[in-house]
Amino acid sequence: MCDAPARTATILAIWCAIALPSHARAADLEVQVRAANGAPIPGAVVAVHMIGQPTPRPRPGASYAIDQQDIQFHPFVTTVPIGASVMFMNHDPVRHHVYSFSPARKFELKLASRQQNQSVLFDKAGIVPLGCNIHDNMIAYIDVVDTPWAKTADANGIVLLRGIPAGAVTVSVWHPYLRAPGNSLARTVTLSDSATHVERFITPMRTPPRDPGSGY
Amino acid sequence: MGRVPSVSGSRWRAILVAGAGLCVLACPAFAADAPEKGLLTVYANLDLAAADAPRAWLDDGGTGKARFGNPDGKSLRVRPYVTEMGVVLQPEFGWSLSGLVSAVAQQGQHKTIDLNEAYLRWRPLPLGGVRVNLRAGIFWPPVSLEHGGGEWRVNDTITPSAINSWIGEEVKVAGVEAGFTTMIGEHRLSLTAAAFGLNDTSGTLLTFRGWALHDEKATLFSYQPLPVTNAFMRDAQAPKTRPMIDLDHHAGWYAKLAWAPPGPFELQYFHYDNRGDPTAFDDGLQWGWRTRFDHLGAILDIDPRTRLVAQAVDGTTIMGFTFGPGTRRWVDMRYRSAFLLATRKVTMGAVTGTVSGRIEAFDTRNRGSAVHGDDDETGWAATAAARWPLFRYATVLAEALRIDSRRDARLRESVAPRQHQNILRLTLRLRGVVGD
Repeated sequence: MCDAPARTATILAIWCAIALPSHARAADLEVQVRAANGAPIPGAVVAVHMIGQPTPRPRPGASYAIDQQDIQFHPFVTTVPIGASVMFMNHDPVRHHVYSFSPARKFELKLASRQQNQSVLFDKAGIVPLGCNIHDNMIAYIDVVDTPWAKTADANGIVLLRGIPAGAVTVSVWHPYLRAPGNSLARTVTLSDSATHVERFITPMRTPPRDPGSGY
Repeated sequence: MGRVPSVSGSRWRAILVAGAGLCVLACPAFAADAPEKGLLTVYANLDLAAADAPRAWLDDGGTGKARFGNPDGKSLRVRPYVTEMGVVLQPEFGWSLSGLVSAVAQQGQHKTIDLNEAYLRWRPLPLGGVRVNLRAGIFWPPVSLEHGGGEWRVNDTITPSAINSWIGEEVKVAGVEAGFTTMIGEHRLSLTAAAFGLNDTSGTLLTFRGWALHDEKATLFSYQPLPVTNAFMRDAQAPKTRPMIDLDHHAGWYAKLAWAPPGPFELQYFHYDNRGDPTAFDDGLQWGWRTRFDHLGAILDIDPRTRLVAQAVDGTTIMGFTFGPGTRRWVDMRYRSAFLLATRKVTMGAVTGTVSGRIEAFDTRNRGSAVHGDDDETGWAATAAARWPLFRYATVLAEALRIDSRRDARLRESVAPRQHQNILRLTLRLRGVVGD
């Protein structure tokens, strides 16, 4: 029979043996996404997948939302983990008929004017283009990811991902206007447990057709 | 010469008071940010206009090319007008079917109020990546790149170009239209086609009056005045033309192809053929005209604040019988026009308006057996305009318009063939939207 302090010390030692080395092997990764002319690409989605071992399944956060305001979706690109529910919030004084025909998620939402909110569950990874059947100029994208290490680039085209296990990983970048097969680029990167790794993606972008609803 | 009956001043004042009252009553219910579209739109356009000679074509069939003229001399005279008031009803029937009914009262028209447009639109969710649009009713073909909104208002100027003035006054149809839009690679393609009737007299104004620049629109029962025609046509053709009438029961058609490649550019091609029987006429001497035209339109967004728009039309129209084998019909006319419009957004504080400049040229050439070269015309026009939102329900526009034209047929009214016209207008557009 062993006393309580000894048992606590044993548990602590085992925890340290498992957790601390693992934590020490984690790395941070900063990815900068820029166009060929050097302009940052906000809205690019950066995702990291493990090589040689399974990538952990992400855990959905508390809330995800896409607003409809001024006859536009906000934001233009949203990254959500598998299993996330996204709230569609109509702030406009007009109706929106939101739809997607993506293999990852087919749905339609009929949102009456002003604060008529409905949520949609995204349980399959993939790109989900969004449209509005009433307003052709409304376009947005949801990237449903199967990794806990994925984010949408900020206004400077930068994504910072923390706590990635050290080792070889695949870093991918996706944007709806990225000129590449599947609108995506990927490369293998070996992360060590040193300081923050910085990766730069310089990519050609395609220009979309003019917005049919861009009024003057 | 027939005179277009005009609404008396007291009647217009009554209309103005009623309209203003309606606006005031509706204001509390207006949506907070004045959306473009709602169940009911109420609007009124109040104008101060100054114009020099000659008399406007709308004023007893004068020879001027603008909406306003000056029959008394060359000096500019400022006059107030209520140029247009109207209501637009846009009901939704479920989520794919909607309607539009627009009624309008216009200065210069004998009908106090008349039907502007009325149609049903069906717009289902895209099928296999193809956007489908169907509409049926009375509407303008999709030609103008200057008009918008349920009331078909001119977006950034007061006066539309000669091309779109003609579309507004003489190219309105009752028909069924289908539109299909899809992406092919990185290119957006759109095909629109329609079969229509009720547009058999299209080409009458363009032949006897020539091109004009104005914002008077054809309505279902409206008439437009014609200037003095030659002696032969005076006996054959009524002194007023009714744009929306069917005389031969032939269906016309039009088709439009729009292409938007990657980038801020769009190109449109449109072909129109009313398939009118040029020998059909009714007891009132309204004639069928076989009118066809090709149209090119282009939009280029130079930057997020600057847009260039260009349109060009090249068409023909024929009317009447021949005087024998090998001779041409009474009217056999070719017409052409083109314009370039530049618009730039201007922001001061939280308010964004626009400034615009437009330059255009137009001509007609006659080789018919009854209408000859003296009805030919050549001209050009330049427009400078500014649009500024005053508050939620009011927008003010200012415009200077210069039209130079030559038309020998003016001699029939003892007016010099060559005319230089200047028109200044200040328009207050009052507009409110009620309901979703």
